[in-house]
Amino acid sequence: MTEVLQLIISGAIQGMIYALIAFGYNLTFSTSKTINFSLGQIVMLGGVVGYILYIDMTSGHLSGMPFIVPLLAVMVVGALAGAVVHKTAVEPSLKFKSEYTWILATLAVGIIIKNGVEQIWSTGDYKMLSPLGDEVIRFGGIGIYAQEILIVVVSLSIVCGVEIFKRRTIYGKAIQAVSEDKATASLMGIPEKFVITISFMMSACIAAIAGLLVAPLTFVAATMGTVLGIKAYSVSIIGGLESGFGPLVGGLILGISETLTARYISTGYKEMPGFIFLIVVILFKPNGLFGKKIIKKV
Amino acid sequence: MLKVNNVGVSYGGIKAVRGVTMELRPGELVSLIGSNGSGKTSLLRAISGLVDVDQGSIFIDGKDVAGVPAHERVKLGLAHCPEARKIFGQQSVMDNLLLGAFLRFKKEKKSEIEKTIDEVFAIFPKLKDRQTQLAGTMSGGEQQMLAIGRALMLKPKILILDEPSMGLAPVVIDEVFNVIGRIKETRQTSILLVEQLAYRALQLADRAYVLEQGVVRIEGTGAELQNSPEVRSAYLGGH
Repeated sequence: MTEVLQLIISGAIQGMIYALIAFGYNLTFSTSKTINFSLGQIVMLGGVVGYILYIDMTSGHLSGMPFIVPLLAVMVVGALAGAVVHKTAVEPSLKFKSEYTWILATLAVGIIIKNGVEQIWSTGDYKMLSPLGDEVIRFGGIGIYAQEILIVVVSLSIVCGVEIFKRRTIYGKAIQAVSEDKATASLMGIPEKFVITISFMMSACIAAIAGLLVAPLTFVAATMGTVLGIKAYSVSIIGGLESGFGPLVGGLILGISETLTARYISTGYKEMPGFIFLIVVILFKPNGLFGKKIIKKV
Repeated sequence: MLKVNNVGVSYGGIKAVRGVTMELRPGELVSLIGSNGSGKTSLLRAISGLVDVDQGSIFIDGKDVAGVPAHERVKLGLAHCPEARKIFGQQSVMDNLLLGAFLRFKKEKKSEIEKTIDEVFAIFPKLKDRQTQLAGTMSGGEQQMLAIGRALMLKPKILILDEPSMGLAPVVIDEVFNVIGRIKETRQTSILLVEQLAYRALQLADRAYVLEQGVVRIEGTGAELQNSPEVRSAYLGGH
C-alpha cells in the first residue's frame, strides 16, 4: 500500500513539471493560436542558466550565490527567449499564406537553442544541487525530497496566480479578449500584438522556471528539455489547449501513469499509457478533457 | 470631428470603397445607407483602422490617422461597435463592459469607471440583471445592447454603429433605435450610423449619405433624403 502511495506521489510530482510546461504552451496558444515548439529547449535553458550561476562547474559545489540570483536570472532569460521566439519565428511566419510555417519556425528556434548551448556550454550531464538540500523527508513510509515539495508549491502557485490574474484584473481580461477576438480587442484599445508578445514572454518565463525546478531531480544537460517538451505537449492536448487548469489534470494523469507502469509492467513501457491516453483523447475529445466549448449565437 | 477624404479600400484587388468623401461634425448623427456590398462596413473598418486604405486620408478629431493602428485610434475617442456585435462571449457581461473602458483604467479612478457602468445600466437595465452571466449565452438583442453599452464605456467622442438592427426582432429594433436617439439627444457624442433599415436610419439622421458600389451617390439632410424620389424608390420601398 505504501509503495503504491509512494509511486502515486512521485508520479504526481513529475506530473506537476509536465503541467507547468503545458501551462506555458496553453498561454501562447490561447492568444496567438500557435504553439511554441521551442518551449522544451527553453526549459533546458532555464536548467542550464540556473546551474551555471548556482554551481561551480569545476568542483560541482555551490558557487556561493544566493538562490534568488539564479532564479531571477532564469526568469529574465526565459522571458527574453520568449520575446525572441515571438519576434523572430512566430510573427514573421504568420505573414506567410501557408498556415503552418510557425511549426517549422519554432522547431528551428528550438534546435538553434539546443545546438547553441552544446557549442557554447557543454554536451555533458551535470548534477544540480537543490537549494533545499537532498535529504529525504519521511511521512510514515513515504519519502519526499524537499525539492519535490518546492516543485508542487511553485507549480500550483504559478498556475493559480496566472489564472487569477487573467480572471480578476483588467489586463488579464484583455489577454482573454485577445484570445477570443483580436480585431474586436483592438477596437477596445487593447494593443493585441503587444499582448501576444507578453504571453510568449510569460510562457517562456514559466518554462524556464520549470527547468530550474526539475534540474536537481534529473541532470542538467543540453538534451534535458526535448523529452520534457514533448510530454508536456501531450499533456496540453490531454488537458485541453485552451484550458487553464486542464494541464494540471493532464500532468497528473501522465505522471502517475508513468511511475505505475514503470514499476508494475516495465520501465521500457513507462511512456506507453500516457500516449495511449493521448490518442484516446484526440479520438473522442479533440478539444481536450477541459477544452472550452465554443458558445456562438447569432 | 471625423473627416474622410477620397478614401479607397481594396480586398485582394477588388475595390470595395472607391473614393468616398464624407464628414461627421461634433454632436451630429450621420447615417450611411446602402445595399449589401456597397462598401459601408469596409469604410467603417478603414476609419477604425481594421483595414488599410489604399488611397485618401482620414482625420479623427483633426489628426491624420494614416498608419495609426486600430488600438491607438481608440485613444482619440473613437468607439466602433462592429457588425454582428462581436461581444466577448466567453466573458461575463460585466467583464465586457470593463473591457470597453480598457484605456480609461490607466488614467482614471475605478470610481469614475463605475459611474459610467451605472450610466450604462440606466440605459440598459437588462444588462444590470445579467452582469455576471456569460455574454455569449444572452439573446441577440441583449448582446446588441451589451455591444452598444461596451462602446459607451469609453465615453467616446465618436461612436460608430455598424448595423445595430441586424438579426433582431422588430420590438428589439425599436428599443435599440430608441437608445440611439437618446444618445444623440445628449449631443455629447457624434454618431456615425450604418444601417440596412434606411427608413429608420434617415429618421434619426441629421445628415446622411447613400453609398452605392463604393461611392457616395447622394448626400443631404435626413429629411431631404427621406423625400428624395431616388432614395424612396431604391431604399424606402416607395414608388
